[in-house]
Amino acid sequence: MGEKTDIKKEKGWFGRLVEDFGLPRLIITLFLILLLILAPIVGADFPSQITNIIARFSWNGILVLAMVPMVHSGCGLNFGLPLGIISGLLGATISIELGFTGALSFLMAILIATPFALIFGCGYGWLLNKIKGGEMMIATYVGFSSVSFMCMMWLVLPYKSPNMVWGLAGKGLRTTISLEGYYSQTLAKFLQIRIGNFVIPTGSLLFFALLAFLMWAFLHTKTGTAMTAVGSNPTFARAAGINIDRIRLLSVVMSTWLAAIGILVYEQGFGFVQLYMAPFYMALPAVSAILIGGASVNKASITNVIIGTILFQGIVTMTPTVMNNMIHMDMSEVIRIIASNGMILYALTRKTEGAK
Amino acid sequence: MNKKTNIVGLLQRSSVPIMFVIICALCIPIAGLSPSYLINEIVTRMGRNSFLILSLLVPIMAGMGLNFGMTLGAMAGEIGLILVSDWQIVGIPGMVLAMIISVPNSVLLGFFCGKILNMAKGREMITSYIISYFMNGVYQLVVLYLMGSIIPIAHTSIKLPRGYGIRNTVSLLSMRQKLDNLIPLTIRGVKIPVMTFIIIALLCLVIIWFRRTKLGQDMRAVGQDLEVARDAGINVERTRILSVIISTVLAGIGMVIYLQNMGNIATYSSHSQIGMFCIAALLVGGASVDKASIGNVFLGVVLFHLMFIVAPRAGAYITGDSMIGEYFRVFVSYAVITVALIMYETNKRRAKSLAGAQLAAEQEAQK
Amino acid sequence: MKSKRGLLAKLLVLAAVIAIAAAMFVIGRGHTVYFDNKEVKAEDGTVYKPFYKIEVYVGDERVAKLSEGDRGAYSVMGQKLKVTLHLTVKKDAKKQGSAVTFEIPYNMDGIIYNIPALLQGAPEEVYMEEFVPTPVQEDEDADVVVTDEFAMPSEDE
Repeated sequence: MGEKTDIKKEKGWFGRLVEDFGLPRLIITLFLILLLILAPIVGADFPSQITNIIARFSWNGILVLAMVPMVHSGCGLNFGLPLGIISGLLGATISIELGFTGALSFLMAILIATPFALIFGCGYGWLLNKIKGGEMMIATYVGFSSVSFMCMMWLVLPYKSPNMVWGLAGKGLRTTISLEGYYSQTLAKFLQIRIGNFVIPTGSLLFFALLAFLMWAFLHTKTGTAMTAVGSNPTFARAAGINIDRIRLLSVVMSTWLAAIGILVYEQGFGFVQLYMAPFYMALPAVSAILIGGASVNKASITNVIIGTILFQGIVTMTPTVMNNMIHMDMSEVIRIIASNGMILYALTRKTEGAK
Repeated sequence: MNKKTNIVGLLQRSSVPIMFVIICALCIPIAGLSPSYLINEIVTRMGRNSFLILSLLVPIMAGMGLNFGMTLGAMAGEIGLILVSDWQIVGIPGMVLAMIISVPNSVLLGFFCGKILNMAKGREMITSYIISYFMNGVYQLVVLYLMGSIIPIAHTSIKLPRGYGIRNTVSLLSMRQKLDNLIPLTIRGVKIPVMTFIIIALLCLVIIWFRRTKLGQDMRAVGQDLEVARDAGINVERTRILSVIISTVLAGIGMVIYLQNMGNIATYSSHSQIGMFCIAALLVGGASVDKASIGNVFLGVVLFHLMFIVAPRAGAYITGDSMIGEYFRVFVSYAVITVALIMYETNKRRAKSLAGAQLAAEQEAQK
Repeated sequence: MKSKRGLLAKLLVLAAVIAIAAAMFVIGRGHTVYFDNKEVKAEDGTVYKPFYKIEVYVGDERVAKLSEGDRGAYSVMGQKLKVTLHLTVKKDAKKQGSAVTFEIPYNMDGIIYNIPALLQGAPEEVYMEEFVPTPVQEDEDADVVVTDEFAMPSEDE
């Protein structure tokens, strides 16, 4: 024990930085800083780059935020995010089907998605309570199964709206549905600030801030602290008379609901609803984003969410442009895959306290 | 009493295969495919997939669960084949050479995978799953950017027009089904890949032999209880790494066999699908996360692929939409894995609580 | 002592595997052999006329049937190719048999043999030529790589 602390002292400031911050996180941060420095040099339009990062942050922030409750309650990283996303997609398509347009369609989508998210979340949470210890793997496959199940449903369900179904067959939803005339940019346009090339989607950011604040506030309520206790020290939580299963269920429902809202916000920014296999891999970017932000398998804060999303989306948007301008070789996809999955691997191999 | 629980246990364990038998029994008449076509397809697919699925057995023996990292071996096999087809080594020698090339890569990847899995004890599966994604990135880096620019690739037939990177599909026409047809045999219109089956049989024998070796025994001990094995003087970390390496190497060789049957490589997607299909097939055969036998492999191949063949046809017939069947079989693949994982985890918990209750009772009795 | 022997065995296995790999390089090298039945002119001005018909057999399998001006192809493994030629030199002439063994240079992927020239005793540089595929002009984006992240996991295996 004494030896270990000695080593810690000897490591100096850099060693300590690595230790506190985590080497992969440090590399990713430095990489982003490098990209930001390189961008103007290689002739990329700097304001539009920043605009891009902010816009993508506003699209993805809530999906990343959805990770927080489950991490807190010790359910691990929510690889089952697609389940929540599907609730959101159901909300979106039903809202359009019922003929709502404009901002109202966004509101209705949220309202319709909510009961789905609650039901799915309850089932999912109940399942995760039965298999404590193996959450992450099963969550992944629950996500996959539900996505592939919904692939069939999108074809079969009796949607009629001509804006959504295949033109020729008259049935079966299209793979991408344009939100033009519905809720495309609804939030982003609200109080939008525009200075030349530089655009801030104030509404989206405010919406994210609202949800993030609510999450923060919740985590400081009695139930919220109980949730943290369940995650960090289950024995203690049980001794304190906390109903662990109920708290875990609550966290899963919250996560699922946030994922549903998150995908709706993502769509309003992106301008399209993507169905079928699209939700399949949406969990991984969100998972790696929160990990890059400094979270671990059983610890996550709102700050982690914000930093992580900015770093992750920063790399996603900056790498292609910088790389293309520099070496005419677009390796961004590969870098993204390696960086994001490498980050998840790093987090999975860390020893976690209190989990067992 | 005991007998009754045995039957119930048996039913519970074989619930997935039974479910599949029912699905297939329902779908086969609807699909309306001729029996000879079905048998031909099943035999082909058995030859194609069995070796790959057998590669999953070793890590299960060592208690590391379903090795999603077998994808790594598949990547090594693909790299071997890409290089060999660029060197224009054809037929069986080409296959052998591709296998030999894949081995060092597989060992390296397996070692890496095993090292990481040792750092993530208790969540091996999700970790091996993420490793497969991570390595897919590295694979793309190698195949899409390094091949042709750093690793010499001569032929434009496999190189992208931009001068580096490999095309979406690489043709293996020169070694297509060369192994399957080495000893030609057709019984009543059913083409039997004799040589492939011989190799698969050999691998089965090797696996049976391996279980009895010192290393095999060690692996089973490690799989049963890590701490007990450690106390017994087994180098747990090394044993686990070895099990992953063996699995990866076998997967690499299996991938070469698989692809020689297919006749071309889908450079960027062959390997990513293979892991899921193999695991699903093994589970359909009645294996669980901690227990799998050679019998499970073959039953699984037959049932899973029968479903795979008939489901789209049946789906198209019932709904009039061919896509539904496609989605259906994907859904079933995932659902099977999900159900198997859930059953494994609940059983584990039940066993744990049972053991806990027993311990408590014993302590009570001692008082 | 024991570990030394183990090491030796390992080295032997390694050497054996490398030897096998090397052997595979030699015996497994594939070539595409093209048989021409075309008129060819040597540098010294000699003209070798094509035959009326040539049939090329490998074993009992006929791999090419060439009229005047035709080209046939055959994929071969290894550097030796034994063929039997059934020649009809002129129309209505009797079929002649002729056995030929080609020694294919290792480094050539494709190689063209002009059979009439070969049989009429032309020098090697006349009857043998490396086949160089004509580069097809391709659009850079013709083969866009889909890395499959969002694709269907399965169309068919």
